[in-house]
Amino acid sequence: MAAIVFEPFLQHVCQLFYDSQIGTTIRESDNAFPIIESVHVLSITLVAGTIAVLDLRMLGAILRSTPVRRVAGSVLPLTWSGFVVSFVSGFLLFWSEAAKNYGNPAFRIKLVLLILAGLNSLIFHTGIYRSAREWELAAAAPWRARVAAIVSLTLWSGIIVAGRAIAYF
Amino acid sequence: MQPLFIALGHSALGHYMQTSVWGFAVVEAIHLLALAVLGGSVLVVDLRLLGVIFRKESTRTLDRDLSRLLLGSLVILILTGIAMVSEEALKCYFSPAFRWKMTLLAVAVLFYFTIHRHALLRADINGLTAWSRIAAAISMGLWLGVGVAGRAIGFL
Amino acid sequence: MKRVFAFLLAGALVIGSTPAFAHHSFAAEFDGNKPVRLVGKLTRVEWTNPHSYFYVDIVNPKTGATENWGCEGAGPGALSRRGWKKGDLKIGDAVVVDGYRAKDGSHLIDARRVTLPDGRSIYGGSPGDGGPGDNGTDQGNLPNTTGAKKN
Repeated sequence: MAAIVFEPFLQHVCQLFYDSQIGTTIRESDNAFPIIESVHVLSITLVAGTIAVLDLRMLGAILRSTPVRRVAGSVLPLTWSGFVVSFVSGFLLFWSEAAKNYGNPAFRIKLVLLILAGLNSLIFHTGIYRSAREWELAAAAPWRARVAAIVSLTLWSGIIVAGRAIAYF
Repeated sequence: MQPLFIALGHSALGHYMQTSVWGFAVVEAIHLLALAVLGGSVLVVDLRLLGVIFRKESTRTLDRDLSRLLLGSLVILILTGIAMVSEEALKCYFSPAFRWKMTLLAVAVLFYFTIHRHALLRADINGLTAWSRIAAAISMGLWLGVGVAGRAIGFL
Repeated sequence: MKRVFAFLLAGALVIGSTPAFAHHSFAAEFDGNKPVRLVGKLTRVEWTNPHSYFYVDIVNPKTGATENWGCEGAGPGALSRRGWKKGDLKIGDAVVVDGYRAKDGSHLIDARRVTLPDGRSIYGGSPGDGGPGDNGTDQGNLPNTTGAKKN
């Protein structure tokens, strides 16, 4: 319903980005695109790599003697910094390829997974994490936290793979 | 060296990787996921050595688990890496980016097991010193170099 | 456990799609037994990352019909390191492209050598990629007149 009106509009917006001076310059660049893309790919270590440390802690796989909130306090600032880098570099890449990304199934899946990852994080932080003081010393966290951890690991893995798959379509 | 690469290209692994439609894609995806884990472990440990995070945590405690993550993901990276090289062995052999990557990788691994290990174990006793900070900085620089060189293989 | 999850997801994403090519080495994407020479007029140039594409109108010698074929090249950075500039190719230029057909049978070739109207020719492969003309350098050793005509 709304999609019928929204989709062509979205496609038009993507085309505008693609045709713009900035988008074109990045797309046709000798070095800018390779550099931006490399930054984007390597930023997965900052985002997914660090969140994996927190997720694995909650699953009781690593750092069992460290309270969960201490792990979160050390790791989450890194994750957020990484996300800013990913987002900016990703947005620039999108800017240069927008028209092609629009119809790309891997790109769409990646965006959906990103939204789901954000939702998972929101649910976790406003839910079970609120009572962390009560369970953070245990080796493994309560089941809600463990589910959030597994969902997080799965979604971020999917995001990385979907991102790579964009080039295949 | 070159005969080694040629042999790898002609091996059963090489033939499989060169003909399979999705073999390379899957192997590369695994390589990427392992890269994320390795990078995360390196970051957490080295930022601890720099005194940026986990200041109250013993470096020994951190290292005990994170080194397992690091080495586990390193093994996966090497195995998937060999598979990917077998797919385009000679191209890698001639690629300056690939040679840089292998060199930096060797130095990073060597550094990890020697000076870096020493710095980690001493940090609990001596606290953070200039040496531990330098070791952390070199470690991050080397691993970053491996990653950048890896990306450069595709762009040159 | 989570690794298994992730790999299944990876597998599903890759297999569930049907990518036309694996996007890396010559052997996986293009057929070294199907050499082709396209002689025609340039209709379109995509001077883009990560790969450049240019499209040529040729006349199929068997049917007489005009067909539009795509030629895949390296990215702008790699091309400019070999002396290409975006402006070297203009719509309507008569070009000769020697390459090899995509394995999936589509009207796509891997551009191994492109000869421009001014006679300059550029090698399109990467050192060691195993494709025709590969001699480990970025000049290649394809002769200027390659064999097979378009079939």
